[in-house]
Amino acid sequence: MLDRIRRHWMLYLLIAPILAYFCAFLFYPMAQGIFLSTQKAGLLGPVGFIGWDNYAKVFSTPAVWQAIWNTLIIAAGITIVGTLLPILPAIALLQITPDWLKRGFQTAIYTPYLLSWVIIVGIWLNTLSPVGLVNSVLEGIGVIDAPINFFADPFWARPMVIGLTVWKDVGFHALIYLAALLSLSPDILEAADIDGANDYKKIRDILLPHLMPMIKVVFLITLLGSLRTFDSAFLMLNGRTADEIRTLAIFTYERGILNFDLGLASAAGVVLLVVSLMISAVAQVVTRAEREN
Amino acid sequence: MLRSPSIRILSYLILLFLAGTMIIPLWTVVATAFSTKFGSLQPGINLWPNPISFEGFDTLFRRLNFVLPFANTLYVTMVGTVAHVLLSALGGYVLIQEDLPGRKIIAGVILLTLTIPTQVILVPLFVVFKQFMLLNTLLSLIVSELVSAFSILLMKTYFEQVPKSMVESARIDGAGHFKLLKDFYLPLALPGVVTVAAFQIVHKYNLFIEPLLFINDPQKITLQIALQSVIQGESSTSTNDFIAPNVTMAAIVVALVPLLIFYPFMQKYLIRGLTVGGVKE
Repeated sequence: MLDRIRRHWMLYLLIAPILAYFCAFLFYPMAQGIFLSTQKAGLLGPVGFIGWDNYAKVFSTPAVWQAIWNTLIIAAGITIVGTLLPILPAIALLQITPDWLKRGFQTAIYTPYLLSWVIIVGIWLNTLSPVGLVNSVLEGIGVIDAPINFFADPFWARPMVIGLTVWKDVGFHALIYLAALLSLSPDILEAADIDGANDYKKIRDILLPHLMPMIKVVFLITLLGSLRTFDSAFLMLNGRTADEIRTLAIFTYERGILNFDLGLASAAGVVLLVVSLMISAVAQVVTRAEREN
Repeated sequence: MLRSPSIRILSYLILLFLAGTMIIPLWTVVATAFSTKFGSLQPGINLWPNPISFEGFDTLFRRLNFVLPFANTLYVTMVGTVAHVLLSALGGYVLIQEDLPGRKIIAGVILLTLTIPTQVILVPLFVVFKQFMLLNTLLSLIVSELVSAFSILLMKTYFEQVPKSMVESARIDGAGHFKLLKDFYLPLALPGVVTVAAFQIVHKYNLFIEPLLFINDPQKITLQIALQSVIQGESSTSTNDFIAPNVTMAAIVVALVPLLIFYPFMQKYLIRGLTVGGVKE
């Protein structure tokens, strides 16, 4: 054993910088966060241990509950719609026969996934502005009387965050589903044809069950991703929408960096982390149970 | 696969609608960008600039600070991606050494990093980057995802497909680890290397939280931050002349150009990467 370790010293040397990096820039900040959450915040940094006080303050601050509520609603919307909606284009892509057209559709719906949130919000600010394309069309065909100010209306704030996130990811998720659908043996569908199954039966009894494991995977990564919503909501945040879309991640940024209340912000961060970890743990258990079945 | 014409028609409608939500807004951005200031302020459906003008781009480059952020982003993207790919390759290489004692522990530590998302440790990250004196440096943006578990695991998956027999003979001839990596693993797993690089280029180019958190020196801001301030109308020029939509949209077009150049070459790898990994971020 010792001989094997000695023989491989070079490999340990190669992996050392990577492990050192993770320690310095992930585990250490994590530990710092937990440490800071137990400290009283002073103007220049932590000034002393105060135990659970920051956590007590986190849970007695109405703004935190509002942020938690906002995060949960937005996460629920993104997760449910973002997991189910991409099934439609995935099945639709299977039907498109000329290959160039199929690739064209894939490219078009996948592209938003690669764009930054700044660009996405910029594009839609233009299209959804009160004098923009969507409002003009809706007014033109008589659906609405007055333009909707999508980006400055509390009613639309959460649907906008959810809708644009789903739009950004729809192509990505559809391509994951498409890859899973392509692994389905054509024989099964042919057999269903011979048995006289119609298309809706085929979708319900063959395609969807075949997709189920992937739907679960997408559900989990979307849920974990959406719980930490920051960029999208941050860029759509303004005086009129702040109370609807200030997520917990944005709250920690505003309190910690802008107001320099390190203790409270760190405690809120730890709360968010614990929630994410619990969901990951549940995810692990569920997928493991799945594998054993 | 499915037979009824109604499903075929429905499929086309779904895809046309989704593709439309991508193409039409993007087209109106381009149309507005090439409008005059006056033209871009016209309400309604403007699908063609009338008259075509470069006024927006002119204002953008002459009056607003847009070139420097662009250069900063290109620098961070290039250096950061090269470093990220090399380190990920090293990590992947170490993880495929089956007889390495402690390999499982190393893999476990790397996997553990996946549970700590950046957005959750924003405040302590700021504190730690301050301690390392990285605030207000472009280096902070290179450091902020220098290597990731996702990329290491992707590299490992690709390296595992390199035939053992080929590598073994070179090893017996006395080739060291660096030589094995350089002459065998990296060239034979090139699609994997390109996939990791492609995702990292997109990631670095789109960085937003990190520069927001770490940088407030106007000389060091990056493209996305500059773009955000143009979009929100907080320009570095005087406050009494406002930024018209043609300038904002010109800024978006400029920010899109590198991606549009890069996309056709990388699309294959970007799509392959997500089906291999099946993991996000």
